[in-house]
Amino acid sequence: MIILKMAWRNVWRNSRRSSITIAAMTLALFVELLYAGMVAGLVYGMEEDATAYELGDVQVFSEGYLTKPSLYDAVEDDEAIVSRLREAGFRATGRLYSGGLGAAGELSSGVALVGIDPEGDAATMELHAAIGEGEWLDAADPKGIVIGRGLARTLALGLGDELIVLGQASDGSVANEVYKVRGILMSVAAGLDRGGVLLTEGEFRELMVFPTGSHKIFVRKPVEQPLDLARDEIAALVGARDGVSVKTWKEVSPFLAQYIDSVAGVIVVVYLIVYLAVGILILNAMLMAVFERIREFGVLKAIGYGPGQVLGMMVAEGMLQAVVATALGVTLALPVGWYLQEVGVNVGTLGGMQMAGMTMPPVWNAYYTLETTRVPVIMLFVIVLGAVIYPAVKAAWISPVEAMHHR
Amino acid sequence: MTSNGTPILQLDGVTKVFHQGDIEVRALRGLDLAVNQGEFVALWGPSGSGKTTALNLIGALDSPTEGSVKLEGRELSKLSRRELSAMRRDRIGFVFQAYNLIPVLTAYENAESVMALQGVPPKERRDRVMKLLADVGLGGMEHRRPHELSGGQQQRVAIARAIASNPAVVLADEPTANVDSATAEKLLDIMAKLNAEQGVTFVFSTHDPRVMRYAKRLVGLVDGAVDTDIEKAQGELDPEMVALGG
Repeated sequence: MIILKMAWRNVWRNSRRSSITIAAMTLALFVELLYAGMVAGLVYGMEEDATAYELGDVQVFSEGYLTKPSLYDAVEDDEAIVSRLREAGFRATGRLYSGGLGAAGELSSGVALVGIDPEGDAATMELHAAIGEGEWLDAADPKGIVIGRGLARTLALGLGDELIVLGQASDGSVANEVYKVRGILMSVAAGLDRGGVLLTEGEFRELMVFPTGSHKIFVRKPVEQPLDLARDEIAALVGARDGVSVKTWKEVSPFLAQYIDSVAGVIVVVYLIVYLAVGILILNAMLMAVFERIREFGVLKAIGYGPGQVLGMMVAEGMLQAVVATALGVTLALPVGWYLQEVGVNVGTLGGMQMAGMTMPPVWNAYYTLETTRVPVIMLFVIVLGAVIYPAVKAAWISPVEAMHHR
Repeated sequence: MTSNGTPILQLDGVTKVFHQGDIEVRALRGLDLAVNQGEFVALWGPSGSGKTTALNLIGALDSPTEGSVKLEGRELSKLSRRELSAMRRDRIGFVFQAYNLIPVLTAYENAESVMALQGVPPKERRDRVMKLLADVGLGGMEHRRPHELSGGQQQRVAIARAIASNPAVVLADEPTANVDSATAEKLLDIMAKLNAEQGVTFVFSTHDPRVMRYAKRLVGLVDGAVDTDIEKAQGELDPEMVALGG
């Protein structure tokens, strides 16, 4: 207690120097907290978009489908699997995929046909909420389709316009139909944006002569369940069978997962750069404090303070400054962080920019959790400890006789 | 003497050599000294005679080049850093020429600090520190910081701090050097009273005749060895010694 009391009072002995040090720590923490929230918002947004629109948390598909997608590689007992997964508390839905050609007037483009159960998909994924114009699919309107924004631009299509789709059905016949655009997606993912044509599951089966099976079953897990555990549980529910794979979205899209991880790594590098500058300032301030108080350390050692107690006092001085800086930094960052999370930053022309297959939203929101705020605070304390330890050791191992004769 | 009959403090053949660049300085040359419990001893002699070096060795602040220093029968050179810290904390009290109080602590906290390190319960600490501060004439000044006290008052706090931890011996290095005559007399009165009433052992290093007059034993050092060792009555002082000491 006496050591903590001395440490606290020592902090304020040179109040100007301590105030500058605390101000630097506060500013660094403030910047780090906002930066962490914004980057977490970006990463979380990318992950959330990827899983909500295109990937799900876990996918069930035929082995080999990922590397060489084929109309014929479908999971046959998809309905039974989906129903078993739903009974176990997961959200699940199947989707059907094929390629084709889309034409409107004089214009044409390659399209990715996606057969969707409108209700089941809406209960599982979030694509239905990404309608920019018009409406989501409706089983009662089998000829009504939803297309990507990029495709709409390419083919100069608007709501109510007709799109002719050409393809090869599973029986080798020509798949050919005219559809009416009932919805246009917002820019959510590169593939869907460029060539996505969403049609109802029933219409897909009829067009492609594809009566049973799904190419992919998308599963969403409860938020709190770890991804790998969810995959294992889903694999057990799907049951052991030849030719079916159960994989997490990270396994399905390793590039995106690595990209997100690398963004998280960049955060740590920026933390270190900002905190290193603060660390040097703290080191300098603490070294000055030690040199100014060498005689005093000699006296403390002479009257019975051990090296550990002197070391503890110096470390406590640094830590107490970090505590004050944390209180100030968090207090300052709180309203700004709240604004960034709730309102966000309008990124203007950057909105819609593609990154690792995902699309930058028009408004960039911060995302705060205990994790995002904890890491910058812990790192501040680690840096302060690192900066304080050398001066503290110097003070702790000082010879009392030499220290007391120091001029 | 301690309870088992051995001196509380014993130096045998102590030599201390310092190196200042290529020059070898022999501060002590085979110093022998034994101090019994309750003594009021002054090490006196001219500058460079080895008084402060001897006090540093006795106080476990430094180690001898040769010979042994024993406090309560324990040879200091055989103790670890941790044991030496504990020895200084529990068995030795220091009073320095420049007071050397901790500037961020009040008079009360300065006197209390070593006891806090010893783990003495708060109530016992409070009772003892309040009594000690009253004994040294600082009642009512407990909450003053060192910069709010005069030199003499700071030295009284230093005495209270040295005594508070119930040490085996109090080492006082030129304790009256930075105070005026009247204050010096008061400080010596306080220490003599503590010696007489509480049996606290004091070892001074000094060339102040006032300290030598208060001492009951005068150990004269010349060139790092004991030259004279005289027991006398408190208050007496041979004028020749005054001349030598000054």
